[in-house]
Amino acid sequence: MKFEPVLLKNINNPAVLTVKGYRDAGGYAGLAQSLKLEPDAITEEVKKSGLRGRGGAGFPCGMKWSFIPKGGNKPKYLVCNADESEPGTFKDRLLMERDPHSLIEGCAICCYAVGASTCYIYIRGEYTYAADVLEAALRDAYDAGILGHNVMGSGFKLDMYVHRGAGAYICGEETGMLESLEGKRGQPRVKPPFPAVVGAFGCPTVINNVETLCNVQHIVTRGAEWFKSIGTDERNTGPKLYAVSGHVERPGTYELPMGVTLQELIDICGGMYKGRELKAFIPGGASAPMLPATMRGIKMDFDTLAKAGSMLGSAAVMILDETTCMVRAAARLAKFFAHESCGQCTPCREGTNWAAIVLGRIEKGHGLATDMDLMLRMTQNMSGTTICALSDAAVGPARSVVVNFREEVEQHIKEQRCPLPQQRFFGNGAAN
Amino acid sequence: MPTVTIDGRALEVEAGTNLVDAALRVGIEIPHYCYHPRLSIVGQCRMCLVKIDGMGKLQTACSTQVFKDGMVVHVDHPEVKAGQEGVMEFLLINHPLDCPICDQAGECGLQDYSFKHGQSFSRFSFEDKRTYPEKERIPLGPNVLLNMNRCIQCTRCIRFTREISKTSELAFFERGAATEIGVFPGQPLDNELSTCVVDICPVGALTSTRFRFAERVWYLDKKPSLCTGCDVGCNVTLEHRLGAIKRYKPRFNPDVNDYWMCDYGRGTFERYKQLPRLAAPRVRRAGELTTVSWKDALDAAFNKLRVRGGSEGQPAILGSGFLTTEEAYLWSQLARQVGSPHRSVWVDSGPPRHIPNPQGGITGRDAAPNRRGAELAGLTPGDGGFDAEDLLVGDAAAQCSVLIVTDSDFGKAAHDPKVIERLRRAKTLIVLGWADTALAQAADIALPLATHAERDGTFVNAENRLQRFARAFPATGEARPAVEALRELLARFDTKFTADSAAAVFDLMAKQIPALAGLTYSSLPATGVVLRPTPSSPTVSGTDTTALGSAS
Amino acid sequence: MASDAVTKAGLSSSAGAQIETLRSRYPTARALLLPALHIVQKENSGWLPETAIEAVADYLELPASEVMGVVTFYDMYHERPVGRHRIRVCTNLSCMLRGSEEIMEALHTELGVEEGVVTSDGRCSFVHFECLGSCDTAPMMMVDDEYHENLTPESTARIVRELK
Repeated sequence: MKFEPVLLKNINNPAVLTVKGYRDAGGYAGLAQSLKLEPDAITEEVKKSGLRGRGGAGFPCGMKWSFIPKGGNKPKYLVCNADESEPGTFKDRLLMERDPHSLIEGCAICCYAVGASTCYIYIRGEYTYAADVLEAALRDAYDAGILGHNVMGSGFKLDMYVHRGAGAYICGEETGMLESLEGKRGQPRVKPPFPAVVGAFGCPTVINNVETLCNVQHIVTRGAEWFKSIGTDERNTGPKLYAVSGHVERPGTYELPMGVTLQELIDICGGMYKGRELKAFIPGGASAPMLPATMRGIKMDFDTLAKAGSMLGSAAVMILDETTCMVRAAARLAKFFAHESCGQCTPCREGTNWAAIVLGRIEKGHGLATDMDLMLRMTQNMSGTTICALSDAAVGPARSVVVNFREEVEQHIKEQRCPLPQQRFFGNGAAN
Repeated sequence: MPTVTIDGRALEVEAGTNLVDAALRVGIEIPHYCYHPRLSIVGQCRMCLVKIDGMGKLQTACSTQVFKDGMVVHVDHPEVKAGQEGVMEFLLINHPLDCPICDQAGECGLQDYSFKHGQSFSRFSFEDKRTYPEKERIPLGPNVLLNMNRCIQCTRCIRFTREISKTSELAFFERGAATEIGVFPGQPLDNELSTCVVDICPVGALTSTRFRFAERVWYLDKKPSLCTGCDVGCNVTLEHRLGAIKRYKPRFNPDVNDYWMCDYGRGTFERYKQLPRLAAPRVRRAGELTTVSWKDALDAAFNKLRVRGGSEGQPAILGSGFLTTEEAYLWSQLARQVGSPHRSVWVDSGPPRHIPNPQGGITGRDAAPNRRGAELAGLTPGDGGFDAEDLLVGDAAAQCSVLIVTDSDFGKAAHDPKVIERLRRAKTLIVLGWADTALAQAADIALPLATHAERDGTFVNAENRLQRFARAFPATGEARPAVEALRELLARFDTKFTADSAAAVFDLMAKQIPALAGLTYSSLPATGVVLRPTPSSPTVSGTDTTALGSAS
Repeated sequence: MASDAVTKAGLSSSAGAQIETLRSRYPTARALLLPALHIVQKENSGWLPETAIEAVADYLELPASEVMGVVTFYDMYHERPVGRHRIRVCTNLSCMLRGSEEIMEALHTELGVEEGVVTSDGRCSFVHFECLGSCDTAPMMMVDDEYHENLTPESTARIVRELK
């Protein structure tokens, strides 16, 4: 598949780490152009482009910006969600480490559009290198007059800071992130009020993912129509970073038009690892329900995957081959969600832990005859009953393993053991 | 005001009312654990899920406010029922179900709701239950014990210390299924209101060190009462068994103590255990204390009091802030009968005790509940009359023919041998009260009275709010409510005097005291009534000594 | 505390100075909490003893209970001593599919301690960790602030051996 990269065009050019190098590569043109436009015109263009959030929820980006109240005497904030923690996702780290100014530019355009004069880039605590790269780029941008009291000579004032998290998946949830930014436990807030009205420090706040913001300058310079020309349809537009991991020959971040099929993606990654058979895939990070190999032809966009009962999420595509025990995979993800639940809502605090226990015992060969029904009903009770989406996310793998891989789960319970030969990755092939 | 429809019943509510409160107004109880009307809304127990027309998912009633007309809410709905059952199951899977040894049993939100909203079987295998080893009995502070295994992480206690006591001792630690509540090492839960966290804990995670294992709650009888610890006048539920108070729980009154009361107040009934009870009337005969009948004792008192004027001086009455308003009124009437200006009240000043309420709160500075009521009812010195200080510090007692001290435990001075010796200089010392103190031992006539749990009456608090309390159980032994005893004493002066209950005395008094004009005992509002200060002195008007109905 | 100069709240003056450079970034003092804990932890050999937590609380005028609540919420703050080198092995699904369990075994063999236990010479401690965002180079581990990617049990042992 031929596709000229947009988001990743600079990643193999180390010169773009400096303002000068980035400018030489055409950078900051979008910001310069934006500063000459009415802020609302930018929001309109972004709306028209159909850009949807790349963090997981896929919320229309321009619409999010338009929720910020005009005027008012409260400061407004942009919080860039760089808390990339969804298992399987590593695309934002690549952007930040290799092309930090593209993020700074996207953030600056967004701030100008919504009237924010402060931007926090909330980066997950483990990304120390990316944070250092960003800090250096910010200093450079301040020195070059791209940030500060007079952005590129326009009179627009903008401060931008890196704020490091400290290890909590839930801080990727936007209100959990705001709590964390404010120095608290990252427990998501009850909504309404939504962050656009009461966000960071009680003020109107936009929260956007790194990849989402990196699209913005291109929409400004090349127009909404160009952006819309890429993708499946009107609602699934633009270039997309697919972070592919697991059992493929060349895992990595691939920029492709929205709506590439899974099989195309596997082919681009050099095919299945050691030529094995595809068994299952997770199309959008740990939260996305697991799909069977029979669905390999599916278009990897927001709406097609939603219709298939899964989701594009962060487009973290995990490929599982024939040697993978699905119960084991689901149990591992269940353990992750149990570890990451913030603990405030009853169904999530108790349910994520219970799901991990039940899947764990099935995997170890101690499953009960009633465990399949239990999983179905438990996950039902965890769906849509909590403040944030973590509980629903945990349901993704926990329920889909029972629904989509029923026979394998049943076999675990019936035989009281894992029916697959024990695999070691580095050991010599099979049995240990 | 917007209209909301809940289970088919339309009602108007103030804009911003949440659905838990709105439903309650039409008698629909939406189950909840984390929601508390005085704490910030966190919506995290997920028990109050309701169905709202036009919204896909179930919504938490506590965090849904009514702003616009037309919201249609369903509580009695299969989806809601399924949601509640789901939440109950999640809450119970890790709960130890140790009700037989849990102090909360009988007043536990988990028991109540699992009965109403749960299912009768568990799908959780016992061996998988989460436990917090070594965390079954952690003292969080001097008054509160934590059993983490029972906690349902509702955070009411945490929010209480942040938002009401403003001491922030408690916080959530860890996260996920390991989330627990606790204090920072070396900074215990130790504030004046700390036991309130036990009241608001919906389960048996927080229990009161004082009450723990004292009694099974279903054996307790309850009566609305008032705390006697200070002049805030906290409304309490007095819980008792077999003639003994077992605990006080705050009783909701938004104008006074709201949902709260202080730790000191909760312990005040211990006083009834610490001092010996004055069991029967006593008269000193030939220097010896002799137990006598009430009739003989009252006759003796009457005989001492009826002697008027002369070199022996006049009778004096030293009242206390523990008198009810009605008792104080009767004592002031007695003073008028014997023509004495020596009427006063002594109240220790206590450390200030602040109880928050939506108006900001009330600070009590007296160590007794009813100085204001006693003074209002006439226990203030007349012209040339001795005040309490003259009697307690000066040598006024020596100039009195009879000194009546009520009560025997009126304050710290009642236990000071020097003060007792000073009071003893009156020609005759009459002491009344429930406690057999050294002061009562020193009296010529000692009369056993009912405690406040054993009598009816009113107190007037620091904000001039008159509140009524009721007898919880009969007085033990020979002790009697002061109002009854005083009726008999006053009847000896005036045979027409018949008011022998707090209600009758109050109604009589209301006719005499402008500040009480128009009030009757039976119609006093449950939350009390603020007395308007009148332009003239807020005491018994004029010098009418016929207040009892007729002059002798 | 590492430094001889100490602020009123018990923080080292260098920690105090680092926190102060950030103060103007936020409208509230509380927002300094996460950065302050990072700074103080770094100064305290990678962990936060109770005294340090209390000092941060005092410095930012926050209740110590709430600061403790924050410390225990986040995976990167440690309330117990850690090794001079902290090794975090990603064991989430993408790494699991590519052999992270064998990396954990290799560390166990090489260091001779259980997960979470500091070696007797204080040099290392290792733990399993959730996704570290390096799934395309799985399996991987983070040694202090550095990512080591495309590991094998052999390369893992070699990396650990070279740690001082």
